[in-house]
Amino acid sequence: MSETRAQSPERLHQDFHAVWGNPTGWRALSIVNHTSIGLRFMLTGTVFFLIGGLLAMLIRAQLARPELPLIDHQTYNQLFTLHGSVMMFLFAVPMVEGLAVYLIPKMLGARDLVFPRLSAFGYWCYLFGGTILVSSLALGLAPNGGWFMYTPLSSAAHSPGVNADFWLIGITFVEISSVAGGVELAVSILRSRAPGMSLDRMPLFAWYMLVTSLMIVFGFPPLILGSILLELERAAGFAFFDVARGGDPLLWQHLFWLFGHPEVYIIFLPAAGIVSTLLPVFARRPLVGYRWLVLAVIGTGFLSFGLWVHHMFTVGIPLLGQAFFSAASMLVAVPTGIQVFAWLATLWTGRPLFNVPMLWLVGFLVIFVAGGLTGVMLALVPFDWQVHDSHFVVAHMHYVLVGGMLFPLIAGLYYWLPHFSGRLPSERLGRWGFWLTFVGFNATFLVMHWTGLLGMPRRVYTYPAGLGWALPNLISSVGSFVMAMGVAMVLLDIGLHFRFGRRAGDNPWQADTLEWATALPPAAYNFVSLPACTSRHPLWENPALGQSIAEGRHGLPTIDHGRRETWGSDPLSGQVREIIHLPGNSWLPLYAALVLTVVCLSLLNGAYALAGVAALATLGILLRWSWVNGAHPLAAPDARTRPGDPPLHSRTFDGPGLWGMGTTLLANGVLFFSLIFAWFYLWTVAPNWQPPARSPLPGLALLLDGLLLGAIVLGFRWLVRRLRRGNHRRLEGALWMLAALGLLQAAGLSWVLAATPLAPTASAHDALIAVTLGYLLLHCALAPLFTALQAWRVRLGLVGERAPYEPAVVLQWWDYCLLTFWASYFALVLFPRGIGA
Amino acid sequence: MLLAGCQGPQSALDPAGPAAQAAAWLWWGMFAWFGLVLLLVVFLWLLALRRAPRHYTPEQARRLGRRWIIAGGVLLPGFSILVLLAFGIPLGLRMLPLPLDGPPPLRIEVTGHQWWWAVRYPETGVVTANQLILPVGRPVDVEVASADVIHAFWVPRLGGKLDMLPGRRATLRLQADRAGRYRGQCAEFCGAQHAHMALAVEALETPAFEAWQAARRTASPIAPEHAAAVEAFRPYCGECHRVAGVSDGRRAPDLSDVGARPSLGAGTLAREEGAMRRWLREHQRLKPHNGMPRHDHLPEASLDAIAAWLETLAP
Repeated sequence: MSETRAQSPERLHQDFHAVWGNPTGWRALSIVNHTSIGLRFMLTGTVFFLIGGLLAMLIRAQLARPELPLIDHQTYNQLFTLHGSVMMFLFAVPMVEGLAVYLIPKMLGARDLVFPRLSAFGYWCYLFGGTILVSSLALGLAPNGGWFMYTPLSSAAHSPGVNADFWLIGITFVEISSVAGGVELAVSILRSRAPGMSLDRMPLFAWYMLVTSLMIVFGFPPLILGSILLELERAAGFAFFDVARGGDPLLWQHLFWLFGHPEVYIIFLPAAGIVSTLLPVFARRPLVGYRWLVLAVIGTGFLSFGLWVHHMFTVGIPLLGQAFFSAASMLVAVPTGIQVFAWLATLWTGRPLFNVPMLWLVGFLVIFVAGGLTGVMLALVPFDWQVHDSHFVVAHMHYVLVGGMLFPLIAGLYYWLPHFSGRLPSERLGRWGFWLTFVGFNATFLVMHWTGLLGMPRRVYTYPAGLGWALPNLISSVGSFVMAMGVAMVLLDIGLHFRFGRRAGDNPWQADTLEWATALPPAAYNFVSLPACTSRHPLWENPALGQSIAEGRHGLPTIDHGRRETWGSDPLSGQVREIIHLPGNSWLPLYAALVLTVVCLSLLNGAYALAGVAALATLGILLRWSWVNGAHPLAAPDARTRPGDPPLHSRTFDGPGLWGMGTTLLANGVLFFSLIFAWFYLWTVAPNWQPPARSPLPGLALLLDGLLLGAIVLGFRWLVRRLRRGNHRRLEGALWMLAALGLLQAAGLSWVLAATPLAPTASAHDALIAVTLGYLLLHCALAPLFTALQAWRVRLGLVGERAPYEPAVVLQWWDYCLLTFWASYFALVLFPRGIGA
Repeated sequence: MLLAGCQGPQSALDPAGPAAQAAAWLWWGMFAWFGLVLLLVVFLWLLALRRAPRHYTPEQARRLGRRWIIAGGVLLPGFSILVLLAFGIPLGLRMLPLPLDGPPPLRIEVTGHQWWWAVRYPETGVVTANQLILPVGRPVDVEVASADVIHAFWVPRLGGKLDMLPGRRATLRLQADRAGRYRGQCAEFCGAQHAHMALAVEALETPAFEAWQAARRTASPIAPEHAAAVEAFRPYCGECHRVAGVSDGRRAPDLSDVGARPSLGAGTLAREEGAMRRWLREHQRLKPHNGMPRHDHLPEASLDAIAAWLETLAP
């Protein structure tokens, strides 16, 4: 294969295009390449942003004067609920995830993300879920309980319509997309970097995205669980949040904000990553304090999970708790301050250029610092009691979110425009767009602090004259329309530049990171050959890198094997460990998302049988997806590599799938942990919690079932250990036997569930037991299925001596079943006995 | 100008009691300090962009960066947080319903409903709705609860807010230092008419407050010309509304002193000439989805008679 080196670069690119190229026409729906998927995310996010902005304009129009009859209360309540939900779930998170999906492989010197089909699946879930949610507005059935959906207002008793279901189902669907993106990005950042790109050489944007992705993995599951519980309460009458039946509406608030606060940083951190990427380029100086920044980002990630109660200071939390959460909330000022002053020092010691992206960064700084400071004010409990739920908070969060996310995002879009179009943005229209947006934004929201201090609560569809609110509201409304003009100007500028922009040369900003070593716009494979990385600033070190990459003078420059390949690297040192071969274009992600859409629509319409069928179909498609992997003829039948290159990942014990499963199980574990949290929370806090004198669970049967599960997992561990030593004798038979035992165990568990006299609609105690057992049953039933499929793959020769690593992936699932089983046993059986209930 | 901009019946910056006063002090203090911080950061940033660039060796840049990061990122926020907590925690403690040395505070129970307030004085048994009358200069413990969804009790000129949760009771300590009228409003979104859930608050000097309580303990006499209205009211409106001596409904606001209240429909309609008649006819237009059914089937004359009688309920 060494003769490829002699091929002309043009020929090489043609050959790469044959393997990596995107189909056109309707087949484009099967594209899984990260560049296309990232662009789709961003385009769709922009559309949802415009929808959300339109809703905001209607809100501001209604509030412009006292007692305006423009919009009635029903519509208004739908407008503000959807404005918040669309901006948070359908714009901010997918937009930054989309940008990261587009950029991360390019910055890391890789050809694609490690799970291309997963990013495509994430995109379709996002598109369909978002469409379901937004279509409710057209039907006049949009959610109307506010974007945090507090119970009991969102319960079936107080919101009998389908409105709340649209929110719960649509948002959960979109969250699947967010979690998929989080898993994808975290594993890709850890496992597919350029050779030699150790963690401390990684571009800061990748650091920010790594922390953000892990925050998504840990932060979203509590809300997914909360939504499932609330939907179960609404649709099946289970009791979780109803005080009369032993539930507690505050449980919802805890689950929601356990997600909701990290969410704010999930939105902010990628934007701060944009700032940390652009500033050194325009200051023409490496970022000062790289390690400080990394520590600050990690610190923010940890802190953000300890702050959620500051959204609940007015519910009557115990004093000590308030003091703790108050101090913790203020502490976020430290990592944020570190970042701001590191940026400042970079500018100070650099030779800054002042262009349109920099203008947006200045706007970011002014607005975000102001919003951060009002955030510290709000963390002070006695002040929060006064302004909580007033327009002061509305102003604060728009300062933080618009200043902290939208401004850096637009700066980033301008900066990366040459990537999307091959052209440079204009200066004049861009400046107009900035100033209109900046002035309009501050006119709207600076004044709104004052409105809030004058006592105007949020979420009121009208207000009487004579309270002093008329003038500030009018200013805010006028300002909001100015801001809308600014945003329109920016979009116009970006749209026009695709036609009239100057052609960008190589690396037009003289940037330091690898995404500028691609062609502009880049090919689907990013790099024909994969460069090694010897510093934090590869393109400053070697400005001609792009050319030598295009000439195929670096790693993996062959394509005659027909595989899509990228390096699999060590998570810490970045040294090459294996070759990751990636799946090609596939319809499976689209099909899976489509049947999931059927599940959601059936649930919305109460067609539960159809929902069940569609859920099974989803499972079938996902299993097919996992089938076309490893040594499968459609994946990588030919495992030969060039001499000196490492083996393919599917021929080792350590592929990205192992990490993907682990990360997904982490997210799953957080969901399970939230469920157990709910159990202990209600047990200790719910006003009417009434545990029965004797637990209804058959403790002995459960114990035996758990022991059986333990034995299976031990057996599976032994099998994998043996395989690692290269011993694969009777692998198939052993797998079949473990699958059969697993089936027995799952059957035992379903017997326990059926034999336990539970009344989930009458008491929260029974409802939580039922959900926990159902959760265990689902996992324990899937385990033997996965094991049986492995046995079948061994028979077909797809798993075994040649490709030994898949059983290790399935082992993680078994371990997870065992862990959650015994955690549940402790919580449901031992704990109540221990405290003498 | 600035002070005028801070005034208003619901303004947190126009405090009339110690809790609101403390919050207002906190605001002005933080506003001044954080305003300075913001100006400083923005000034440095613009200066860094505008000044003539100087040459820094990597070592110099690293040292300068470390100094800035420690000064601006660690010391400045650390100092601000310490000062904030040093002022904030004692002030916050003073707002809590802790036991008092002197006479016990006056207890008032306020229950949130979609979308009105039930108010009860447990010591005297006096009940009213959508208005809170309290004595000047005496601490008041407002005990809040909810009958349906989550509401929040908030009278900004007297103090902070407290959520009203179903199944729980919580206490907010307030005190009015001056006689006068204030306005409160539900602060937690509670459904369709969240915007029309205001609470009229009036602080009375102690003798006036005692007189008010005494008067409310007796039922309003029914003048003979209103007898027919009472008979029309009792079987229909009385199902939900209580009027002392007439009916005992509990689902809707107590009307025993509705004639003396400054507004109707929890702040929806000011009490002008003819407001009561208008409310009875148009309440579903003025406050859509409120719990009271339309009265279309009642003859106009009967509705007007009921309105006229209700106007007299001002013991």
